[in-house]
Amino acid sequence: MENRWIAYLIPPFIITLLLVAGSQFVFIQNSFYQDLGLGRTGTDLTLTNYLKFFSDSFYLKTFWITIKVSAIAALLTLFLGFPIAYVVARMKSKLAMFLLAGIVVSTFVTIVIKVFGLIIIFSADGLINKTLLNLGLIERAYSIIGTQEGVVIGLMHFTIGFSVLLLYSVVVTVPPSLEYAAQIHGASRFRVYQRVIIPLCAPGFVVGGLMIFNMCMGAFTSAALLGGGRILTLPVLVQRTVMMEVKYSTAASIAFVLLVSVILINLFSLIAIRRLRSARLVVA
Amino acid sequence: MKKNKNPLASLGLAFGLALGVSFSATAGEFDGVTLKVATWGGSWKANMEKIIVPKFEALGGKIEFVTGSPAANFAKLVAGRGRAPFDVMEVLDAQVGDFAQVDYLQPINLDLIPNKVNLQPFQYNTTYVGSWNTQETICYNTEKFAELGLPAPKTYADLAASELQDKVSLPDINSGAGLANFGGVIYAAGGDEQNIQPGLDLLKKINATKFWTRGGETKTQFESGDIYAAVVHAGWCTRAARAGSPVMTVHPEIKPGVKGLAKEGWLGIMKSSKNVKAAHWFINEYLTTDFQYEYAINSGVFPLNKDAIEKMKGDEINAKLMELRPDAISSMLRLDYSKVDKTAWIDGWNKTLTK
Amino acid sequence: MQTWTEKIIMFIWCGFSYVFLLSPMIVVMGASLHGGEFSAAIKFPPDEPSFQWYSKIPAEQFEALGLSLIVAAVATFIAALIAIPAALGLVRSNFKLKFAVSSVFRAPLQIPAIVSGIAFLQLYYLIFDTSGLMLAGTIPGMLLGHVFIATPFLFGTIVAVLQRFDHRLEEASYSLGAGRWRTLYRVTLPTIMPGIYSGGLYAFMVSFADVPMSIFLTAPGFVTYPVELFYAMENDFDPSILASSSLVIVFCLAMLLIVQKVVGLETLLRSGGGSAR
Repeated sequence: MENRWIAYLIPPFIITLLLVAGSQFVFIQNSFYQDLGLGRTGTDLTLTNYLKFFSDSFYLKTFWITIKVSAIAALLTLFLGFPIAYVVARMKSKLAMFLLAGIVVSTFVTIVIKVFGLIIIFSADGLINKTLLNLGLIERAYSIIGTQEGVVIGLMHFTIGFSVLLLYSVVVTVPPSLEYAAQIHGASRFRVYQRVIIPLCAPGFVVGGLMIFNMCMGAFTSAALLGGGRILTLPVLVQRTVMMEVKYSTAASIAFVLLVSVILINLFSLIAIRRLRSARLVVA
Repeated sequence: MKKNKNPLASLGLAFGLALGVSFSATAGEFDGVTLKVATWGGSWKANMEKIIVPKFEALGGKIEFVTGSPAANFAKLVAGRGRAPFDVMEVLDAQVGDFAQVDYLQPINLDLIPNKVNLQPFQYNTTYVGSWNTQETICYNTEKFAELGLPAPKTYADLAASELQDKVSLPDINSGAGLANFGGVIYAAGGDEQNIQPGLDLLKKINATKFWTRGGETKTQFESGDIYAAVVHAGWCTRAARAGSPVMTVHPEIKPGVKGLAKEGWLGIMKSSKNVKAAHWFINEYLTTDFQYEYAINSGVFPLNKDAIEKMKGDEINAKLMELRPDAISSMLRLDYSKVDKTAWIDGWNKTLTK
Repeated sequence: MQTWTEKIIMFIWCGFSYVFLLSPMIVVMGASLHGGEFSAAIKFPPDEPSFQWYSKIPAEQFEALGLSLIVAAVATFIAALIAIPAALGLVRSNFKLKFAVSSVFRAPLQIPAIVSGIAFLQLYYLIFDTSGLMLAGTIPGMLLGHVFIATPFLFGTIVAVLQRFDHRLEEASYSLGAGRWRTLYRVTLPTIMPGIYSGGLYAFMVSFADVPMSIFLTAPGFVTYPVELFYAMENDFDPSILASSSLVIVFCLAMLLIVQKVVGLETLLRSGGGSAR
C-alpha cells in the first residue's frame, strides 16, 4: 500500500532535483573559475572571485548595507504588519474579510507597480513633500530615490502584504478566550498584552521576522529602482555585474555568497522554530 | 520618449503594409528579406518605422526591430557566444573596446555606403559607421540659478556649489551616457583615461542627489523641481525646454582649447548576419538628410549628416541649446575608449560614489 | 473588552499601516488618469482627469502582458502536474528521508530569485555549448525557470491540505468497491482541490509578478510585463505605463474575487499565507 505512493513521488522528485541541482551546480561551479571578462573564464579552479569579494571594501560594504537595510525593513514591516493582522484576526464582521482581500491583492501586484506609486508619492511636488513643505517641517523637497530610507520603504512594500498574512496566522493561534480569561481575573489590558498576547505571539514574530529579513536580503526590484545607483545591495550588484560588466563568474560568486547567507539564516530560523515548537509555544 | 500608436492608426498601418508589400513584390530588390535591427524602443524605433521602413518595404523586404539597450544586447550576445538575433546593431562608443575583444562584427564594405560623403572621415571605418552623436552638456534651470544667486555654470566643478547640494543629477555609470560623462569629468578635473582619481574626487564633491539611468528622468525632475541642474545630453535639455521648463545648456569647459563633450553612436553588422546587402542598405539610409534630421528632432540626438546639421539651425530651441558650428563640434572631447580600463573605472566609481 | 484608548491607538496604528500598504497602488490608478501631454509631469491627483492614456497603451505592453499571462498560466499548470503527485506521494508514503525530500521540493523558495535567474542563464549557456540548443530568451527556457519558482507554492499548500485530510474517506471508498483511479478521481482530488486552487493562485501570481529571475531569461523583443515595466522605469517612460499597470491591479483584484467565489478567502489564507514560505 505505502510503496504505491512512492511511485507517485519519484518522477516529480527527479524533475525537481534535476532543476535544483542542475541550475545551482552550474553557476556555483562557474564561480570558482577566474573571471576574464566578457563571459570568459580561466581553466583552473580557484577561489579568486571569493578572495576578491572578502578582501574588497566595496563588496563588504555592499554586503553590510544589504544586511542593514533588510534588518531595518523587517523590523518596521513587523511593526506595521502586526496591528492589521491583530485587528483582522479579532474582527468578526465582513469588514475583516474585506481588509484581508486588500492585503492579498497587494501581495499579488508586482512590486514594480508599487515602486512606481512610491516615486509619484515622494516626488518633489508630490503629496508628501508638498504637505511637509506647507507645514514647514522640511525646508526643501526630500527625495527617496538614492537613499537608504527609500530602499527600506521599497523593501517594506515588497514584504508587508506577506508579513500581514504571516502574522495573521500567528495571531489566530492565540484564542481570544485567553484574553477574556485574563481580564476576568482582573488583569488590565496592558497586562493582557504584556502577559498573554505578546508572549504567545513573540515566537511567531521572531520566526516571521527572520523570514521577512530573508526576503529583503534577496529582494532585487525595489532595491534597484529606489537605490538609484547610489545604494547598492547584493542582488542589485549581481544584476549590474552581469548586465553592465558582463562578468558572469564574478556575478556568480556574489550570488553564491548571497545564497549561502540566506540559507544560513533559514537554517537558523528552522532551528528556532523547532526549539519553540518543542517548547509548545508556537504553530507557525 | 515613446510615441504611442493608436490602435486605429496601427490597423491602418498594417493595411497599408499589406498593400505596399503586394504592390512592390514583383520589382523588389529585397524580396523575402527580413532585416532585424537592434535599437532602442520608443521614438528611436518610431522614426525608423516612419522613414526607413516604407522604403525597404517598397523594395520587397521587411524590417523587424529588436528593442533594448546596447549594453543589455551585448550582455546577451556574450551569453549566446555571438549568435545574434539581429543583423544590424546600434553600438555605443563606450562599447567599442568590448567589441574589439570579441569577434561578433563583420567588416563593412564602404563602397555600399555612398551616403558616407555626408559624414566627416573620422565618423566611419570598415568596422563601424557613425549613426549620430550627442552633445553631453550641463543642463540647468535658469530661474532657480537666478533665485539662488548663482551665475551660469561653466564646468562640472560649478555644480559642487553648496546651494546645489541634493539638486544635481548625474548619469549613472550603468547608463548609456555613463562612461562618456565620467570621462568628461575626469578630464575637466585634470585627469585622463589612466588617472581617474581627480574625476572621482570632483564627483564626490558634487554629491549628486541621484544618478540617472534614463535621460528622460532628468526632464521629469526638472519639471517637478527635484533637480536644478543635470549632466545630460543636449537633446534631453531641448525636450525639457520644449515642455516649458526654463532650462539652458552649457558645454562644459574640459581643458584649455576643449569645450564640450561628444558621445558617438555607431552601427555595426553582425558576423552572424545573412542579410549583408540589406544591412548595408539600411546603414546607408540611416545617413540620409531626411532621416538624420527627423531623428535629431524627435529623439534629441545630434545628426552627423552635414545638411541635416544645417537644417537644425532653423529651429529656435536647437539653435539656442545646441552647438551647431561644425568646427566647434569636431573639437569637442571624444574619449579614447581603447585606453579606458572599464573594470577600473567601474570599481573606482563603485568605491567612491555609492553610499 | 478592549478599552477606548486601546481601540483608538489600534485604529490609528492599523489605519496608518493600511494606508501605507495600499497607497502606492491607489496613487498609480489615480495618476493613470493623467490628462496632460506625454511630457507633462505625472501628478496625483491628476490635474485634468481623462482616460486618454488607456487608449494609447502601445502594442509592446500588450504583447508583454500576453507573454506574462501565458508563461504564468502554463508554468502554474506544469507546476501542478509536478506538485500534486509529489505531495500525495510524500504525505501518504512512509520512509525515513521524508524531511530531506520535502526540503528539495521547497528549496526554490530559499533561493533568492536573482540567484535562480543567473543560475538558469548559466545552465542554458552550458546546454548551448554542449548541444547547440539555446534556451535563454525562449518560451521553454522562460517556462522552466517559472515552473521552478512556482512549484513550491503548490507543493506547500497541497501538503498542508493532505495532512488534515481524513485518510479513512479513501479507505471507505475502497471498501465500497471503488478502484484506485476512481478513488483518486472521486475522493482524493476533490478534497485537495482547495489546496490546488490557492497554491495555484499564489504560484500564478508569483510567476506573473517576477522581475529578478525573468530579467535574465528575457531576450530583446521577448520580455515579460514586469520586466518591460522595470526597463521602462529605468530607460524609457510613458504615461501609458500607468494605465496598463492599473489594468494589472484590476486584474489581480478580479483574480481574488474569482477565488473568493470558488474556494473562499479563508481557505486561501489558511493554506496560502502560512505555507507561502
